[in-house]
Amino acid sequence: MAEITEKRHKAACSSRDYDFFYEGLEDQRLMVQHCSDCNTLRHPPEPMCPHCHSVHSGAREMAGTGTIYSYAVHYHPPLPGFEMPHPIGIVELDEGVRIVAGLDGMALDEIAIGVPVKAEYLRRGELATLRFRRA
Amino acid sequence: MTGFSNKVAIAGIGTTEFSKNSGRSEMQLAAEATLAALEDAGLTVTDIDGFSTYTMDNNSECELARTLGAGDLTFFSRTHFGGHGACAPIFQAALAVHAGVANTVVCYRAMNERSEYRFGQPIDFQMPTAENALISLHTNMGAATAGAWMALCMRRYMHETGATTDDFATLAVASRLHASTNPKAFFYGKPLSREEYMASRIVADPFRLFDYCQESDGAVAVIVTSTERARSLRQKPALIRGAAQGATPKTASLTNFYRDEIYPRQEVAVVARQLYAQAGLSPKDMQAAIIYDHFLPSVMPSLEAYGFCANGEAKDFIKDGNIELGGGLPINTHGGQVGEAYIHGMNGVAEAVRQVRGTAVNQVAGLENIVVTGGSGGPTSGLILGVD
Repeated sequence: MAEITEKRHKAACSSRDYDFFYEGLEDQRLMVQHCSDCNTLRHPPEPMCPHCHSVHSGAREMAGTGTIYSYAVHYHPPLPGFEMPHPIGIVELDEGVRIVAGLDGMALDEIAIGVPVKAEYLRRGELATLRFRRA
Repeated sequence: MTGFSNKVAIAGIGTTEFSKNSGRSEMQLAAEATLAALEDAGLTVTDIDGFSTYTMDNNSECELARTLGAGDLTFFSRTHFGGHGACAPIFQAALAVHAGVANTVVCYRAMNERSEYRFGQPIDFQMPTAENALISLHTNMGAATAGAWMALCMRRYMHETGATTDDFATLAVASRLHASTNPKAFFYGKPLSREEYMASRIVADPFRLFDYCQESDGAVAVIVTSTERARSLRQKPALIRGAAQGATPKTASLTNFYRDEIYPRQEVAVVARQLYAQAGLSPKDMQAAIIYDHFLPSVMPSLEAYGFCANGEAKDFIKDGNIELGGGLPINTHGGQVGEAYIHGMNGVAEAVRQVRGTAVNQVAGLENIVVTGGSGGPTSGLILGVD
């Protein structure tokens, strides 16, 4: 039987499949899962590789750079822990996978599809997280 | 035509009033709508042998049976994915009736989704199921409402197709025109001008207030039975020509940010393909459509998925009154969920039945076939209903 160990992150709703992602953020690193057998990167995390069905995976550190693939700006309703309006983006990383994160380090008028961005690590309350700023 | 097509039908529809505060329990709403649907069909509670709904309904099939004093049940099913599954109970009921395991199936949605809770609030799940862990991956970043998720996807649609908020306004004006003549609609007597749309506040850019469905209290029930039996009942049957669910391996509920095409079209196309094959019909055979409008701009990729226009061309298709009553393809003739009420898509099924009967307040002349869809951007569902 697997030993129950205390989680090394503060994400309230994470599973065994997601813990490495939040643990990476505690270390200010953006980690993405890769299949240990066929090497495919995959995000969001899954417990099995959909290409080769391997259950063995590792976490690979991303450079944290990419471009905005899409974005929205949340105005309403208020989000606890965030200042309104809160811009959010889908960022295509240079390694080829997409990450959803806040763009609240950017001015609203500099946010557009295709704009190059880089990760910035921060805490929102207790949670270690990241957002993207203009590269 | 294959399988159950045209062999099963909707024989009755019932609704409560739609409001912002029903003043009674969701179970009472469910029971009232069911009785109204039975009365409409000319059936009684003792005829019921099945119930079918979809998740996010808080009224269990068996509690509803007990409340109504129904007899033995031989079929009860509940499909997943909330409003994406709005047409799925009718699909399930059609399968059950066609298979001979049930004769009279009540499909229902009853909710106090305004006075008791609101789907538009930030989502905060705690139990780390795979589904909830995926949602939290986004809520942790401040992408925390269904509207913001769809806004992320539709921004990309705008980028790829050239659609603009002017096109969103066209959709809103059409829906509110239809709602303005529907006495059951929240916006009865209140059409919307393009200028009023543009002046409305931004909720999740690029979406404005009038892109959003009306959070509502209310209930809708429909009765599914065999076409043969429906012909002997009180109403003209609405034949189920097609009924289907659809998803792709990369479909998630509203958080489809990681696949090639992030906006809500591909799973809708899976449903559309099945419906046309089941019915032996094509898009040009449809005289109207009820397209699920949780977030009204998402209607555009649905129109493309159903083949009413080519991919990326919905912005042209909706122009010049084409989707209004009297146009080439009137859509959401009840005012949609942005105009009538948001009963999680089941009020759209009821409207399609009225169109088939010829009794809608905004009746499409000469209607033979109508499409109804479940919510896009997730594992979805749809129907083609038609005249006997």
